[in-house]
Amino acid sequence: MEYKLTIQENTLPVEIDSTDENKVTAKIEDREYDLKYSLISENELHLMVNGKSVNVYVSKNSSGKTIMLEGKTYQIEDADNVSKGPKKRKGVDGPTTVTPHMPAVVIAVSVKEGDRVEKGQGVVVVSAMKMETTLTAPYTGVVTGVNVAENDKVMPGEILVDIEEVKAEEVSELEN
Amino acid sequence: MFKKILIANRGEIALRVINTCKDMGIGTVSVYSDADEKAIHVLSSDEAVYIGSSEPSESYLNIDKIIKAANDTNSEAIHPGYGFLAENYDFAQRCEKEGIVFIGPGSKAIKDLGDKITSRKIMVEGGVPVTPGLTSTEADAGVMAQEAQKVGYPVLIKATAGGGGKGIRIVNSPDEMEEACASASREALNAFGNGEIYLEKFFINARHIEFQILADTFGNTIHVLERECSIQRRHQKIIEETPSNVLTPELRKEMGAAAVAAAKASGYVNAGTVEFLLDSDNNFYFLEINTRLQVEHPVTEMITGIDLVRQQLEIAAGNKLSLKQEDIIGRGHSIECRIYAEDPANDFFPSPGKIEFLKEPKGPGIRNDCGVYTGFEVPVDYDPIISKLVVHAETREYAIDKMLKALKEYIILGVRSPIDFLIDVLESEPFSKGDVYTNFIETHFSDWEENPDELDIARIAYVVDEMCNRNMKTGLSVTQKVQTPFNTLGNWRL
Repeated sequence: MEYKLTIQENTLPVEIDSTDENKVTAKIEDREYDLKYSLISENELHLMVNGKSVNVYVSKNSSGKTIMLEGKTYQIEDADNVSKGPKKRKGVDGPTTVTPHMPAVVIAVSVKEGDRVEKGQGVVVVSAMKMETTLTAPYTGVVTGVNVAENDKVMPGEILVDIEEVKAEEVSELEN
Repeated sequence: MFKKILIANRGEIALRVINTCKDMGIGTVSVYSDADEKAIHVLSSDEAVYIGSSEPSESYLNIDKIIKAANDTNSEAIHPGYGFLAENYDFAQRCEKEGIVFIGPGSKAIKDLGDKITSRKIMVEGGVPVTPGLTSTEADAGVMAQEAQKVGYPVLIKATAGGGGKGIRIVNSPDEMEEACASASREALNAFGNGEIYLEKFFINARHIEFQILADTFGNTIHVLERECSIQRRHQKIIEETPSNVLTPELRKEMGAAAVAAAKASGYVNAGTVEFLLDSDNNFYFLEINTRLQVEHPVTEMITGIDLVRQQLEIAAGNKLSLKQEDIIGRGHSIECRIYAEDPANDFFPSPGKIEFLKEPKGPGIRNDCGVYTGFEVPVDYDPIISKLVVHAETREYAIDKMLKALKEYIILGVRSPIDFLIDVLESEPFSKGDVYTNFIETHFSDWEENPDELDIARIAYVVDEMCNRNMKTGLSVTQKVQTPFNTLGNWRL
């Protein structure tokens, strides 16, 4: 079977064939590997790679898997899933919504429904672990909904403020 | 000795205090907020009292609620840990009034030492060298410029109140003075409600070296050697070690004596830390006294074999110091790395979330003071420390090797940690040579990036993990479908 796996925006095909129970051969570009593996727990794998022992730790997350090995962290995504999966959509939507980058607490909301906002204008201040971040309006528009209040706990992906985009020509109309 | 104490803190430091209390047969009471219902200190103490919402001012910083919890549980003393109320003299004073022992110095010492001008005055009177500069506040930028001329540029304009790097400006030349004074004062007024400023000399290539001290109520004061804490990011220490590789036995003796003098001058009781700057000519200057148990206290415990929390409890209970200066001997070398839930590739931005998997490093000479566990949600409301990884070995070189081994075995999944960054720092030439200054990270690692090198193995592991998980699922369904007479036949008897 073949997987296309992305690490730090670099996608490479990985060819894997099962040769025996708990044994595989793998090929990445022109590099070949003989592997014996055993699953230690849900998050732990022990590999013998070309005769060398390696402990690998794996956890799943929304965009793929995080792997730790020898003190280093690898975020790996399946390129076939990414193209149609939720990750890609998030990437496009990301800068167009008012949402925190990590779980946070709302410190201040500086707009109310009906307010005109300029692109880049601060609308909500959130705090995570003693650090404050100002979330800004992704585009010029009108606030159609404020979904949070001070001290609310919020998660990434949660839309804190709805903003209806107003196109440049409409802006000048509004101003007239 | 106390029968029961309350610990007014959370996470790893609360657990650290609980551990010694258990050794000594002292009962423990934890306090907790909404976010910490399942936190490790709640799980580990004899009793736990809910004190309010996750917002610190409603719980861990709320003096009334903590005093009430102590009174309700008949706790005789309160250990404040570090941070939160540890250096709040109102809290220490309130404990004194309520007849609860505050495990730390008296409220007057906390107040005096918390004000930079007052503490500078105390030290000058006590014969302790302070950084050249003013010992009174000054509002006139012209006078500041004259003083700067006297001590030599660059100088620091500093707020007398607060801390955390706020209200501080570096001034390199006379023409920057007026603006620096105005903005430092304005920032301090906003942050601390007090815009008073003063001036001291700024040392560019300085080391941050601190001495642990212990003082009992009978006037006995000793120092428990030094810690080198120069590796910092955003004014926060991330790697600490002891002994410092630049202190000669003579200089150690001299600085240790100054630390003891500083403690005596301020009427200090209990455990504390005297911070010094050491310039490139080995001149040292008093910076401040931290009136609490330090985050990095374990390295001192590792080389001296002394339990500093036990010492704190003995002193607070009114017992005489059992240790004399000549009893304090350091053996080998110890290093601590602070492991935060943070992203080293993204300016050390906090990375809260659920710990999906945790495997702590083990082995001789390895200690991990850890405040989380697999399945614990690192709250967004508090300092994102996960643990303090500490090693002890015969020499600095061996300690570095041991720390590297421990870091590589330390697995934290679910939140980002700085383990890969710390490995690179410890493997770097300037660190192994001991060239550590307070500007170390800015100088050598300001544009650090992730540098994964086992990309093939990581990719292969991804696929193998997919295969294993699929096999596990199908394996399970196969056994469930196995047909035997025992599950196909109905009820019948022979």
